[in-house]
Amino acid sequence: MSLDRTMESAPAATPPKLRLGDWGTGLTLVAVWLLLIAATGLYRPDFLSHQTLLAVAFTMSVVGVLAIGMGIISISGGFIDLSQPAGLILASLVAVRLSEAGVPFALVILGSVLTGMVWGAFNAAIVVLAKINPVIVTLATNFIGLAVLYLVFQLAQVPNGSEIYNFGRARLLEVPLLWWPMLLLVIVVGYLMRSTRYGRHAVAVGGNRAAAQARGISLKKTRFATFTAAGGFVGFAAVLFASAAGPFNPSSANTLQLNVIAAVILAGISLAGGRGNFWMLLLSVGFLSTIPTALVFYGLSSDTQSIFQGILLIIAVAIDGYRARRSMQT
Amino acid sequence: MTDTTANRSAGQETLGAYVPHHPIRDALTGSVASIAFTFIVVIAVGLLWVGPRFLSLGNVSIIGTFLVVPLIVGACSGFALLAGVVDLSIGSIVGISSAMFALFLSMGWNIWLAAGVTLLACLLFGGINALAIVRFGADPIAATLGMLTALRGITWVLVGNQRMIPAFDLNWFSIVTMPVLGLPLFFLIAIGLTLAAALVVTKTRLGRHVQAVGGDARAAARAGISVNRVRTFALLLSALGAGIGGIIYEGQLGSAAGATGFGLEFQVYAALMIGGYSILRGGVGNPIGGALGLLAVAGVTNILDLQAISPYYVNIIVGLLLLAAVLLDRLRGGDAYE
Repeated sequence: MSLDRTMESAPAATPPKLRLGDWGTGLTLVAVWLLLIAATGLYRPDFLSHQTLLAVAFTMSVVGVLAIGMGIISISGGFIDLSQPAGLILASLVAVRLSEAGVPFALVILGSVLTGMVWGAFNAAIVVLAKINPVIVTLATNFIGLAVLYLVFQLAQVPNGSEIYNFGRARLLEVPLLWWPMLLLVIVVGYLMRSTRYGRHAVAVGGNRAAAQARGISLKKTRFATFTAAGGFVGFAAVLFASAAGPFNPSSANTLQLNVIAAVILAGISLAGGRGNFWMLLLSVGFLSTIPTALVFYGLSSDTQSIFQGILLIIAVAIDGYRARRSMQT
Repeated sequence: MTDTTANRSAGQETLGAYVPHHPIRDALTGSVASIAFTFIVVIAVGLLWVGPRFLSLGNVSIIGTFLVVPLIVGACSGFALLAGVVDLSIGSIVGISSAMFALFLSMGWNIWLAAGVTLLACLLFGGINALAIVRFGADPIAATLGMLTALRGITWVLVGNQRMIPAFDLNWFSIVTMPVLGLPLFFLIAIGLTLAAALVVTKTRLGRHVQAVGGDARAAARAGISVNRVRTFALLLSALGAGIGGIIYEGQLGSAAGATGFGLEFQVYAALMIGGYSILRGGVGNPIGGALGLLAVAGVTNILDLQAISPYYVNIIVGLLLLAAVLLDRLRGGDAYE
């Protein structure tokens, strides 16, 4: 009983400092985001339109849900999951095939999420059983997965007029319907990671493996749980992706990968594990999703988008590294 | 006397998988040995399945031409892996170097000037990588992933709406594609560079410093090695190698495209890891093993090509080989994850 109590309270011993970091990250993100919106709005007043809101919210949906999955992997010490593109396409294909067969939408979602979870568990199984670093495992499974998917299909699309098709085009309160589940999931997961035992165990493992293990947290179970949960989010992101993406091929998700990693780092979720606040994802994903739309208004081609994303990512990881170094010294 | 033996056995116990040093066993069980074995298996499969034309001069030339750039890029970025700072931006540096070189040529610049300015720019990109990673402590994978994205974007902007820059320099083309003894000259140069890199790694102080920094940065620092300087050198060399690769690509193709070098980093690192390097742990790997890894993967690609089998199977085989190689490295005493 007392052991349980120490387990519960121990990870919470550091938060005062984390809270401060959260505020800093949050305020910086809000400031940069507002600056981008204000500058673009001044340059082109028509930027501040409903059309922009729709485009930004739309981009946020898929990236946001994927970022939750990536964040769970990162914060628990799995570094990054490079197999998200293959997992997303696999689950999207399942969603397409199920909706083609006329399966009810709820079951399509279930099928997609379960596929994602199986994909995550498959990765975890290799990580845990072969004891190979997740980065290499997911690099290889993504390689293999996409190649197999190319052998299975070249182009897929949800059938016109099906429930999932209409879901991807519906709106609620002036933004795409897709945006709301993303918002809900970020809020709920942010709460779960912070305030439940499972969430805090995952964070504790990411922060200090040895200490977490000494407190009786099983690394293997944590690895399985985090990868399966993260896979579930990839599976759900696949529903959003398939519903709205139009025809897609196995490479269609590759460009999302970088956005997702950048969102996680900008949100202050440390790649080294153990530190981060999932609610910040709303700000980082929002900011990153505004960039492509803003660039169009500046008359810049979509090629320039990756220049900005890349530079942002370098700056963000430099700050992340600098912070980690400083916190290690103190 | 009894004291020392007791100490020794205690020492052996704490070391766990302690194996006495033995040159023959080392040669048979080291990372180079297992990739050499894989390489021989690939050749055997090629000979049995494709027939003798697999090793014909013509076919080896095709593989050799294809491998010039990966071999040079791999030999240079292998130093970054050894120093424990993986550089994912090499594919994009190859792309931007190719585009810049073609652009300068098409503007009528002298070829030396064009190559010089291009390589200086590549060193600058490597320098930015080093600044973020060495100075600020950014994670190498994430930081160079950012560089990869940014440079790819700049490359697309450089090549413009035509999506490619045609710039055919006959002299450069004939040098790059010149055959010597039936094999491409640059393939032989790339092999020579690999051997030189292997000599530097195993026989020089610089090579030992790079390995020491990658193996255990703190211990290296305590031994008086400047960890920052070694890592900066490794990242600059990696960028320089990729820059040279881009210029050679431009010569081979007579033009630069926005997608030149796309995905090359995965192709090269998968092969290097199969050859005994690690992208997460410095201090392991050897340029000869890396080159054999590239040769083995190119051999597999070639076999499937000749048998008209879908190229997607190459990725499946490479992925499985990669996992097998990492697992083997771990069983041989490499770091286990958790």
